[in-house]
Amino acid sequence: MKKRWGTALVSTFVVCSMLLSACGANKPGNEQNTNKQTSNNTQVAEDSNAVSADGFPIVNESIKLKIFTRVAPVNGPFPEMPVFQDFEKMSNIQVEFIETPTDGFPEKKSLLFASNELPDALYRSNITPLEQIRYGTGGQLIPLQDLIEGYAPNLKQLMETYPEIRSAITTPEGNIYAIPGIVSVGSARTDKKWMNKAWLDKLELEVPETTDELYEVLKAFRDNDPNGNGKQDELPMTSRGGLAIVNTLGGSFGLDFQLGYNINLEDDKVNIWMGSERNKELLMYLNKLYSEQLLDQDLFIQTEAQYLAKQGSGNTGYFFDQTNNPMLETKVNDQYIGISPVAGPHGDRLQLAAPVPRDLGAFAITSVNKYPEATMRWIDFFFGDEGSTMLRFGREGEHYEMKDGIPYYLDSFLATGDQGKITPYAGGGAPHLISENVSSYINPPQVQEAQKALDPYMPKIRYQTPMFDEQTAQKINVLRNDIDKYYEEQSTKFIAGTLSFDKWEEFQSTLKKMNIDELQQLYQDAYDNIVKKN
Amino acid sequence: MDDKIFNTVVNTLAALILVVVLYPLIFIVSASFSDPALVLNGEVLLWPKQITLDAYRNVLQNDQIWNGYLNSIIYAVVGTIINLIMTTLAAYPLSRPDVPGRGIFMFIITLTMFFGGGLIPTYLLVKNLGMVNTMWALIVPGAIATYNLIVMRTYFQTSIPWEIQEAALIDGSSNWRLLTSIILPLSKPIMAVMVLFYAVGHWNSYFSALIYLGDKDLYPLQLVLREILMISQSDAVDGGNVGLESKVLLAESIKYVVIIVSSLPVLIMYPFVQKHFVKGVMIGSIKG
Amino acid sequence: MKSTVAKKGGVPRLQSRHSRRLKSITSRYDLYLMLLLPIAWYLIFHYGPMYGVQIAFKDFSPAKGIIGSPWAGFAHFERFFDSYYFWRLLWNTISINLYSLLFAFPIPIILALLVNEIPNKAYSKLVQNVTYIPHFISVVVMVGMITLFFSTNGGPINTFIEALGGKPIRFLDSAEAFKPIFIGSNIWQSMGWQSIIYIAAISGVNPQLYEAAKIDGASRLQRIWHVSIPGILPVIVILLILDIGHFMNVGFEKILLMQNNLNLESSDVISTFVYTTGILKGEYSYTAAIGLFNSIINLTLLVLVNRFARKKAETSLW
Repeated sequence: MKKRWGTALVSTFVVCSMLLSACGANKPGNEQNTNKQTSNNTQVAEDSNAVSADGFPIVNESIKLKIFTRVAPVNGPFPEMPVFQDFEKMSNIQVEFIETPTDGFPEKKSLLFASNELPDALYRSNITPLEQIRYGTGGQLIPLQDLIEGYAPNLKQLMETYPEIRSAITTPEGNIYAIPGIVSVGSARTDKKWMNKAWLDKLELEVPETTDELYEVLKAFRDNDPNGNGKQDELPMTSRGGLAIVNTLGGSFGLDFQLGYNINLEDDKVNIWMGSERNKELLMYLNKLYSEQLLDQDLFIQTEAQYLAKQGSGNTGYFFDQTNNPMLETKVNDQYIGISPVAGPHGDRLQLAAPVPRDLGAFAITSVNKYPEATMRWIDFFFGDEGSTMLRFGREGEHYEMKDGIPYYLDSFLATGDQGKITPYAGGGAPHLISENVSSYINPPQVQEAQKALDPYMPKIRYQTPMFDEQTAQKINVLRNDIDKYYEEQSTKFIAGTLSFDKWEEFQSTLKKMNIDELQQLYQDAYDNIVKKN
Repeated sequence: MDDKIFNTVVNTLAALILVVVLYPLIFIVSASFSDPALVLNGEVLLWPKQITLDAYRNVLQNDQIWNGYLNSIIYAVVGTIINLIMTTLAAYPLSRPDVPGRGIFMFIITLTMFFGGGLIPTYLLVKNLGMVNTMWALIVPGAIATYNLIVMRTYFQTSIPWEIQEAALIDGSSNWRLLTSIILPLSKPIMAVMVLFYAVGHWNSYFSALIYLGDKDLYPLQLVLREILMISQSDAVDGGNVGLESKVLLAESIKYVVIIVSSLPVLIMYPFVQKHFVKGVMIGSIKG
Repeated sequence: MKSTVAKKGGVPRLQSRHSRRLKSITSRYDLYLMLLLPIAWYLIFHYGPMYGVQIAFKDFSPAKGIIGSPWAGFAHFERFFDSYYFWRLLWNTISINLYSLLFAFPIPIILALLVNEIPNKAYSKLVQNVTYIPHFISVVVMVGMITLFFSTNGGPINTFIEALGGKPIRFLDSAEAFKPIFIGSNIWQSMGWQSIIYIAAISGVNPQLYEAAKIDGASRLQRIWHVSIPGILPVIVILLILDIGHFMNVGFEKILLMQNNLNLESSDVISTFVYTTGILKGEYSYTAAIGLFNSIINLTLLVLVNRFARKKAETSLW
């Protein structure tokens, strides 16, 4: 009897506390239940403080904005960055940055919304499409398309030049909730293919143009001791850890990466090529390389630090990276040149490039912002060359100098190693424009040469992941969870040889069982939408 | 005879364990003084190679580290005191066999190890209590670790004979006096363990600080160290690694320096705590 | 229930159970007073936020808050159970814990007994002080060391194997090697720390019991078996129960760092799955549902083991 009494008491306890706290629970979102149509409201907060549609200052009377931003480990404090100090004077807008370290950032971002402690804007916060839809329809983020029309001349221009930007950031209802980082310079969208020319010369080999020739070259690297030390210790080929190699060589087998996924677009038809014959050919080729010790045996376990060390060791034959910095540091860059993608068995020679709207969800404005027009003008500055230069290079004379109209870091400044401290672009994801006018540091001559080898094979247009509505986004999420995981795990095993290609049909049928066809249809629908709108 | 063989076996086993544990530890110290590229390539096996103090300099010259040290010490001291009081206040009554309802209380308490509201409701609660961005957010929500409570209660139940307590009660002692004059002095070993567990728990914790603290000045040591460590974890984005390649390598050795820097205080603390694990001193003396 | 009033000065014998109970509570009011603060704390900080458990049954959207989010019933649970990987996750999680219980649980106990038996006190202290240090190595460094030590080219372990004439073994991308390395390194890292509690418990054992056993002619080994172990048995049992109560939880940070596609067969566990699919993608409800599933299994196991322990070992949590 005692026991029953006790259990009853406890259960009542639990239920009561749940109810009590439920009643008193904070209800975020209550104040936000109407979708504030501030975008239609072109009236300004105070008539005397009109926001200029162009030119500076942005407002006559100084205003303050609270902006939430992610801070990368290498960054110094944001208020001390020259770009923000100088721009504050120019624009008359004071910004108080709420700095949040990258460590634990996703949790903190979620708590921000869950507890309704909203800043005026979010900067460099990697707001995923799903988050954009959720918080946008929930009213915590405001639609930006009209603000862009009226107050973002630079962005507007970019969106006209590159139509794939608009499709990447607009929801099916026609709302834009976040602005991406935009890359227009080809070189910042590709990983160059660095080939050890010194070894080719030593072994009297030509630059390989096909997959078969590449195979022969790698074998020669492995066997014929091009570094001349009497040991077969050369590393013929390596790549970033994991399945990056699939993306790098996929183009040689006709595999494209449209819509942010493993998709080929043929005559407006969406084709997810996972499990196809071409997919098999690619994996078999990679498996051949791996099993014959031509491809780094540690490919699947190496860390970024180890990969960089291999780039700079001078003992690697073929690898891939956007810039040549690791090689520069150890001074082995003279040994390498950037080559074109090799042609596969069917003659395909595609180069993988990131989409122009590359860093999605980089900037958003919240519903508590009293000055959305001014805020839009503020961020738009960085999408023009003047703003982007200031953001990436700091102050002329102090951090950089102009040569032929292009900014270059001063050697004296580079020597201090403080580059990461003064600019938010270090660490990635900052909302701004990366054009050829501001890429001197990431696009030195050797890299430009390497990019030239890739230019003929660049895609005409690369679509970013489309914006789905919340329900579709959820459905896709659920499907892709299992499909992607299965695809990646099996691909790795195929390449490493722990899974035999006899099981290829099983691979295909499992993908089908996981409803990959349904997934394809969802992407098709989204793509049709994009085409229709354009 | 039996003793001699036994001792030899015991000593040998202990020696083996020592070697197995010591080797990687020595490695860590050596790696913190060696050229990171060599460490990565596996050329540092036992002793340091290409000795460099870069990593140490980098870590120790960071102002935030010293601030973090101070904060961590404060949090650990204040926190542990509160932990000890709260845990004892719960563990003792629940250890007494003559307390009706103790089973129910234990059930309520143990249930919390399995079910919880999760991060968001807890965060909202802490926010509503005004503790966000203060030291109290790190101490109050963690005032009792149920695991430790259970361990302490077990200790009371098994190491302090009920007869002694009963005798004192019959002699007219109040429960409060019983606790302070008899139980506590007999509990030195378990208190020592609790101090160790709680203090180290505070020292190593970072997640609460991550979530609740915004002011960098309030950061505990672990958070500062994690920031430093994260550099070696960065991915290359837009040459986001640009100019960082050397930093990435340096961060490799920093990893090792970081352990040494953060574990030193605890390593120093332990021998003092260990003094209290003396064999049955207290029990023996009561009998007399 | 008779309800005879106690005679003044006499021994109350036939009081009702209720009023006797009441008396024993009120006479110990100060003990309940002591409990007041801790229990209040539990209510505020654990039961207060408990409404968050609902998240598992809802489609949580931070914008709508927990109360405002729509109900989803068991949808998230079904999604989890239907996942292609459900059984693998379950099996890996359970088997890692089973092996840990089997191999990792007894070792700190053995270490504590060993340390206790070392004749030279200084040597004993040395062993204690050295073995607990690994506990402070952060996960990131620990995995970094594992990667270095077990690496195929140049790692000490493979160098050793080659010296003995064998071929190097690819430890790090092998599914078979994962669990032994994971559990083995756990043991290495935590045996010293976990032995502390046992060492403390042993120090509480009455030395006269050892004396008595010695007089009775017991050998060292027998003394350990008949005095030390029974002396710390309650602690062992409680810690075992607690460990089983955490059965479904496997330290995810370490596994996450050690996972790669080639060892996923063995290393794919529920906690890493929750992290990569749930937390990283902001799927609170899904994460909460899986967490709840875990908790229920843990709780069931705990209740069963606790009952068993109460009968057999007379020690239990409640």
